[in-house]
Amino acid sequence: MKERNILIIGGGPAGMETAHQLKQLGLHPIIIERNDKLGGHLAQWDRLFPSSDDAEELLEKLKEQVEGIEVKLNTRVVNIERQGQTFHVTLSNNKTLDIDAIILCTGFDLFKAEKKQEYGYGIYNNVITNAELEKYFKTHQDERINDPKRIGFVHCVGSRDVKVNNTYCSKVCCATALKQACEIKDEFPEADVYCFYMDLRMFGKGYEDLYLKAQKDFDIKCVRGRVCEVSENMEGKLVIKAEDTLLGTPMKMTLDLLVLMCGMEKADGVERLQAMLNLNSSSDGFIENSNPFTEMNCTKEKGVFVVGSCTSPKTLPDTLSEARSAAMEVFNYLNDNGQQTTDNSL
Amino acid sequence: MRPVFDPFVLPFVLGTTFVLLYCFIGMIRIIWQLPKEDRRKFGRSLITPKTLWKNIKDLFGDCLFHVKIWKRKPILGYMHSSIAFGWFMIIVVGHFESVTFSPLKGAELTPLQDLASTLYLPIFFRFFAIEELSLKAQIYSFLMDFFLLMIISGIVIAVVKKKRPKQVGMKRVTKFGIREDLVRIALWTIFPLRFLAESSVAGFAGGSFLTKFLGFELLFGGNYNETLSMVFWWLYSIDLAIFMFVLPFTRYMHIPAEALLILLRNAGLKTTEPRKGYALAEIYSCPSCGLCIDVCPMSSTGDNYKKTAVYFMRNVRKKKRREVKKMTEICLMCGKCIEVCPLGIDSLNIKIAQRNKIYYKMKSDFSYLEGQQTTDNRQQKDSQVFRFSDSQIQNDSKTVYFAGCMSHLTPKITRSMVKIFEEAKENYEFLDANGSICCGRPMMLTGKIKEAKALIDKNTELIKNSGAKRLVLSCPICYKVFKEEYKLDGIEILHHTQYINELIENDRISLDRSDKHYVYHDPCELGRAFGIYDEPRNIIDNIGLLTPPKSDRDMAVCCGGSIGSLTMTLEERDEITSNSIKDLMHNNPEEIVTACPLCQKTFARKSPIKVKDIAEIVVENIE
Repeated sequence: MKERNILIIGGGPAGMETAHQLKQLGLHPIIIERNDKLGGHLAQWDRLFPSSDDAEELLEKLKEQVEGIEVKLNTRVVNIERQGQTFHVTLSNNKTLDIDAIILCTGFDLFKAEKKQEYGYGIYNNVITNAELEKYFKTHQDERINDPKRIGFVHCVGSRDVKVNNTYCSKVCCATALKQACEIKDEFPEADVYCFYMDLRMFGKGYEDLYLKAQKDFDIKCVRGRVCEVSENMEGKLVIKAEDTLLGTPMKMTLDLLVLMCGMEKADGVERLQAMLNLNSSSDGFIENSNPFTEMNCTKEKGVFVVGSCTSPKTLPDTLSEARSAAMEVFNYLNDNGQQTTDNSL
Repeated sequence: MRPVFDPFVLPFVLGTTFVLLYCFIGMIRIIWQLPKEDRRKFGRSLITPKTLWKNIKDLFGDCLFHVKIWKRKPILGYMHSSIAFGWFMIIVVGHFESVTFSPLKGAELTPLQDLASTLYLPIFFRFFAIEELSLKAQIYSFLMDFFLLMIISGIVIAVVKKKRPKQVGMKRVTKFGIREDLVRIALWTIFPLRFLAESSVAGFAGGSFLTKFLGFELLFGGNYNETLSMVFWWLYSIDLAIFMFVLPFTRYMHIPAEALLILLRNAGLKTTEPRKGYALAEIYSCPSCGLCIDVCPMSSTGDNYKKTAVYFMRNVRKKKRREVKKMTEICLMCGKCIEVCPLGIDSLNIKIAQRNKIYYKMKSDFSYLEGQQTTDNRQQKDSQVFRFSDSQIQNDSKTVYFAGCMSHLTPKITRSMVKIFEEAKENYEFLDANGSICCGRPMMLTGKIKEAKALIDKNTELIKNSGAKRLVLSCPICYKVFKEEYKLDGIEILHHTQYINELIENDRISLDRSDKHYVYHDPCELGRAFGIYDEPRNIIDNIGLLTPPKSDRDMAVCCGGSIGSLTMTLEERDEITSNSIKDLMHNNPEEIVTACPLCQKTFARKSPIKVKDIAEIVVENIE
């Protein structure tokens, strides 16, 4: 049987794990990644919820697994043409590949916080995003974070918000917020830390424990209510207005730092790929899979598969298990195909 | 000489008597329903020479010539004015003609006979007249034929409009019930029947190019057939009678009602009660022309065109309470319908008066106005939510800036304004830097006038105490209520577009000009409400190139985010927003500029290009 080429678009955790599993199954995966390194958002993260595991450790493990696999960095797909069961893929380095199956591991983009002007991101100095805070934990370099005495976290920024056309839950922000709240409290034990949430969706293993720990051990104050308005006072401190819906009162508070928990959005540039591959989007903008129960890695185009948060917001464990199931799916698809080709040639 | 009476005139005489009595009683009723103060104002206006002149001008301009329709849609303008003015002239000229050549000259008449004959003689003059060959008589009959032709040409267009609205520039026309259809057919046939009736006797009664030559000579071959002629005269009279008897219960009531409305309008009156007095005059004056349907932003969203102003007015008239409530609540209050209405009928005021009568379960707690604070330990230290800025530069401060709640949600605007004040070295105070009391406009829009008043009074007190000479606002929603409801004697109220434009004109700030293409969106409550069109355009002219949208100035689109609507769904609003963005993108601008925080926010959700407030682009381009 001739070697089967599988193109994996996106070199984040989803792409890396899928590639590793395919290689184990004796296939030939090729990863293309538009950035200059592997890892996606994971490479920007410091620690992972719920138990603050080291992100770099996981990344290193994933990287080890893809050793020996063909990886093309700084590369994009320019064109895809389908001929029967083969895809002719043209890359940005002008090379053309003959591919038997394509797996989209394109992931997500963080919601652009500027879109919620009322939170003042990009306007007030002391408003930062979850990703920026994570970077600070990694590097300890951010002049905006300067011994803050009062810190607020706003949950659901760009998620469950019709005003920005995103009605879905981004799934990871609740746990991330509490994780980050504990971590920053750890860093600045004198600070008061507030989390402003709509609901806390602590659904996964160990998440509820994290929530309890945050309150008991770290004295994180969780306020059920949304922040409606942020401004800056004469001293350059942030003044927020919010509502405490449990007490039924409006509240106003000065803060030194406000962290926006930006949710997940469809990644930039995916629409172009979808057009080339003739794939639909579901109502939330993410790529539509064939069946959420039985064919979650399949699309309506045979030979085109999806893994991870390109179909909806997902946690890392979700994504990694999807990668493994997708590898199986692709393996079966190629076997069936091979069978058919042999049958036809008889 | 023929006798001067024939039984066929009776239907007409009865119909006309009925309609005149009905209108007279209706007029008295409307005037009676006016608040006392308004009634006095109306009385005074009738003897003020200035209003008197305006009344005459408007009666001719609006009722007869339909100048406003001419300006927007010349074909429709011709249609309406040819029928209205032609008919009017036929009555006037016909009257003079019947007096000049009266077959009754010298006859002794009882007062009743005299009255009756003045009523019907001008209408049926040809039936009783004998042709006269004098030049004067010829001129008269020429004029009568000329105006008859004018009306008939108008009716031809009306038929086309009904069958093919696109031919006369309308996408949608108003839909009517059977009664309205009947009266329309009656109206359309009056003048063709008059033509036939007059033509049939033109052989000896006289006529001109239309009745005598086209009608009598060509159509009837120069023959007089008495039976046929009588049939035409009877039909003509009966047709008129049908029209007169049905008129008060149909849209054609607008013909007499609009004359009264113009007088009331020019007296400066406004709607206070949703279905009485001034509102009633407006309700009867709506001609159901349907010009408001196509311009209404709702018309682009599914079935909602059935909730536009014309249908609203009709349902108010028919007292259909459930429909009225629905239409009252969904309206975005953008005011485009008033702008295109040939009579300027202000259906928004009627809607606000209607909303005032609707009971909303709503709890208003105004204790905070008196400085009482909520009790939450965590925020005690900071809670000064509802006090204005503490800076005490009061007496020197000439200009105060009131951002309002919407601008606080778009901090780019307030930041830009602060920069502009500083750049212009303005002696200013940011009045509500630490939060503000609502201006009251949202309450006004829900018809809660009393509640709005509480906010207005408190704000008035605070602003007066600040020692301000000028008040600058960023939000057109605030601007409207400040201009209309606040009594801030001696304090000049400016929207920031006006203020910035003044700074530029007085060289207090200087701007860099680039060749970036901007499209300017007129916010409803700045443009249509106050005609502030030029100031923002002047500002943009100093910054870059102004690209026109598809619909400009008074026909500008609504952003869809308006707080005017109480019930419109987000999906419907989104559809309006997307349509409006399409309109703005018509000439491929690089950025959308507006002057309202709400419009800015609404467009930013859907726009493919950047949407900015005018203050932002000013700051970006300060030298």
